Amino acid sequence: MSPVNPIIHIVDDDRSFRTAVERLMETSGFRVVSYNSADEILARLPSPDPGCILLDLQMPGLNGLELQSRLAESAPLLPIIFLTGHGDIESTVRAIKAGADDFLEKSASSTALLEAVRRALHRCEARRLEHDRLEALRALIAGLTLRESQVFGLIVRGRRNKQIAYELETSERTVKAHRHNIMEKLGVHSLAEAVSIAERVGLLERAPQPPRG
Amino acid sequence: MASMSAGEWRECTSELDAVKAHSRSHTRTLRYEGIRGLYGMLCAILFAALAASNICSADDVDRSSRVLILYPYDERIPATNITGESARHRLIEATGGKIDLFSEFLDLSRFSEDKHVARMAHYRSEKYVDHRPDVIIALGEESAKFIITNRDAISPGARIVVCGFSSETAKQLNLPDDVVGAFSEFDITKTFEMAAHLQPSARHLVVVGGSSKFDQEWIATARSDLATLTRNMETTYLTGLSIDEFVERAGAIPQDAILLVLTVFSDRTGRNFIPQNSFAMIAAAASAPVYGPYSTYIGHGAVGGNAVTFEAVGTAVAGLALDALAGKPISDVSVPQSFVADARQVRRWGLAEADLPPGTILQFREKTLWEDYWLEVIGVIAFVIAQSLVIVALLIEHRRRSAAEQQARHRLLQVVHLNQSATAGALSASIAHELSQPLGAIRINAETAEMVLQSEKPDLQLIQQILADIRADDQRAQEIIAQMRGLLKKRGEVEWQEFDLNDVVKSAIRILHTEAERRNIAVSSPEPARQFPVRADQVHVQQVILNLATNAMDAMLDVASTERKLLFQTALAEASDNVEISVADTGRGIPRDKLGSIFDAFYTTKPTGTGLGLAIAREIIETYGGKIWADNRPDGGAIFRFVLPLAQRG
Repeated sequence: MSPVNPIIHIVDDDRSFRTAVERLMETSGFRVVSYNSADEILARLPSPDPGCILLDLQMPGLNGLELQSRLAESAPLLPIIFLTGHGDIESTVRAIKAGADDFLEKSASSTALLEAVRRALHRCEARRLEHDRLEALRALIAGLTLRESQVFGLIVRGRRNKQIAYELETSERTVKAHRHNIMEKLGVHSLAEAVSIAERVGLLERAPQPPRG
Repeated sequence: MASMSAGEWRECTSELDAVKAHSRSHTRTLRYEGIRGLYGMLCAILFAALAASNICSADDVDRSSRVLILYPYDERIPATNITGESARHRLIEATGGKIDLFSEFLDLSRFSEDKHVARMAHYRSEKYVDHRPDVIIALGEESAKFIITNRDAISPGARIVVCGFSSETAKQLNLPDDVVGAFSEFDITKTFEMAAHLQPSARHLVVVGGSSKFDQEWIATARSDLATLTRNMETTYLTGLSIDEFVERAGAIPQDAILLVLTVFSDRTGRNFIPQNSFAMIAAAASAPVYGPYSTYIGHGAVGGNAVTFEAVGTAVAGLALDALAGKPISDVSVPQSFVADARQVRRWGLAEADLPPGTILQFREKTLWEDYWLEVIGVIAFVIAQSLVIVALLIEHRRRSAAEQQARHRLLQVVHLNQSATAGALSASIAHELSQPLGAIRINAETAEMVLQSEKPDLQLIQQILADIRADDQRAQEIIAQMRGLLKKRGEVEWQEFDLNDVVKSAIRILHTEAERRNIAVSSPEPARQFPVRADQVHVQQVILNLATNAMDAMLDVASTERKLLFQTALAEASDNVEISVADTGRGIPRDKLGSIFDAFYTTKPTGTGLGLAIAREIIETYGGKIWADNRPDGGAIFRFVLPLAQRG
């Protein structure tokens, strides 16, 4: 867990329930920010600090599931725990399909709620680490020259040096030199490691950059 | 047994006495004319004899028998008329109508002059020249005398039968041997027997008789006839008194006595009476029931007696006439007597009709209502029965109808309750959700409080806040439950209440708002301008609003969630003594051609609908004197409205 005290974001239009959860979280040593509606939290996020979101599934205006998809964009690192007064099958399925991290009824005990929060915070931490790692990798990739990143894009897609030289209209030797530099800059020793990085930053999902004449 | 010739006919003819007296004075002055009449009569007899022989020889053997009935007086005298009619009746009955009956009213009491009598005889002789009677019935003494004198002129060969007087009188009349009579005899013992029957406890007998020879003979007969019968009674014979004394003594006899009046033709002072009149005077003063042996006493104060009736006389003499026609030998008979009584007197003295001897002819019996008006009585009874039947039928009908109405109302209440349950079921998810808010808050608060208390330095102020919140949430939960209970409240009978319709709209919105939120429907209701008091069952009206609202929410399933709006409004209706509630939605609206049928039972567009919500809504609204209808809004969606009469205040 990070040394920063995480923030629990509580979104519920029911004032008394929200207050109760606020108290529970504060008493348990968390920082709490609460919101009366979906619009309110969307206006105030993202937040740099770790934490999680406790979200009432049924609220007037933007409902919980719609809010979830918006939050996935603006605050992807914050796990969302859904709270519902009455967990009917339909909304439960929809919430889980949409990637709900946890799903609790409002009648759940505070222990269960705290458990869920802690699990979410662990996930948040993991996401943040993963996020940091990816950011670092992206920074390394961003350090490549244009030619090097072109060569890298082709290497990880399994092209041979000769093929790359042909595509980039250069010599095989030049390609070999770029390849060496790339391995250096990324700090990898094998092709497999390079492919793994490319995969994690999502490079493989994109089409290779077209060669420039 | 005494055979007395009391003035049977004379009493009946008292009204003619004045006329009689007058005509007697004429008799003297006109007597000489009788000679001429006699002469004429002789001629008539000769002529008649010739004519008769002619007719007889020419007569068919088969012709109907002819009977002539001679009435002594004119046609107004009931006594002779009754006797004559009785005889006619018997004759016609016995011959099956094959008889020629002739009647002659001789009017002898008013026109008794010999000359006139002779003239009359002559006229009759001529009259019957071609139709000589075979039998002549003479009613009464005068007729008997007339026909005995003139028999050869009127019908020489005819048999003559007489009636209406006693055999004693007959002796005095010196009737020819071939003249046969039906004589009226009087038996005082039978009259006494009747009295003794009616008054079994009587210990006194008072017998009254006048001073005339006839009266005295009657007294003597009575003494001997009654002697053995009255041995145990104190018997007094009152005779030889003046009429005033008779009246006075009659008024002084004990009430348990029997007063028997025979005849008073004349009193001690020689004053003459028609017995009927003297009887009436005595009877009027009598202090005990009075009896007498003459049917003419009936109606003049007599309780009753044993006497000969005119009908009996007629029947008896007709019997003689029939025997004579048949060629049978005939001889004198005495007319059977009968008991006669006056119902008014029987009642006056407190005697019992049941004690009368069997076969008593009861006169002046007041006809019962039934006898007088049987037709009307039947009519009235029939009418009353018919009316009663109609009333009973109406009552039964009314009971059946009210039972049916009650049953219908009961069914409606049951259906409404089912509807309530269905609504509660449909809303159960949102109600559970709503309830889970305060309950969840309470739990978390309580557990937080525990955590706070377990800490080293518990924040008591926080605990206090938590407890306050718990109490508030508990209150909220209770309100939700109360609402739920109101939604499910079952009615055995309609509970009439007066309430503000705005309150019902508000409570319906409270019930629905969670479900509306769940479905992203914006519910709104503008602040009402005034109160709308109505008289109805609040639960039922709320159910109508819930039905309309759930329909509206269902209608908006396909609409974009931002466009889902539910609007409640209350306003004064056009007719200002009504309030109108509208429930508008932004759903699909209602197809034009379905606007009329959506309130019909089992009409539904929802796959899971029962089609009863709107039908029940209409049933409820109409029960409370209102109206419900639906329409489409110009800018899309449907609007349901209903009106209810405003409660009159003050």
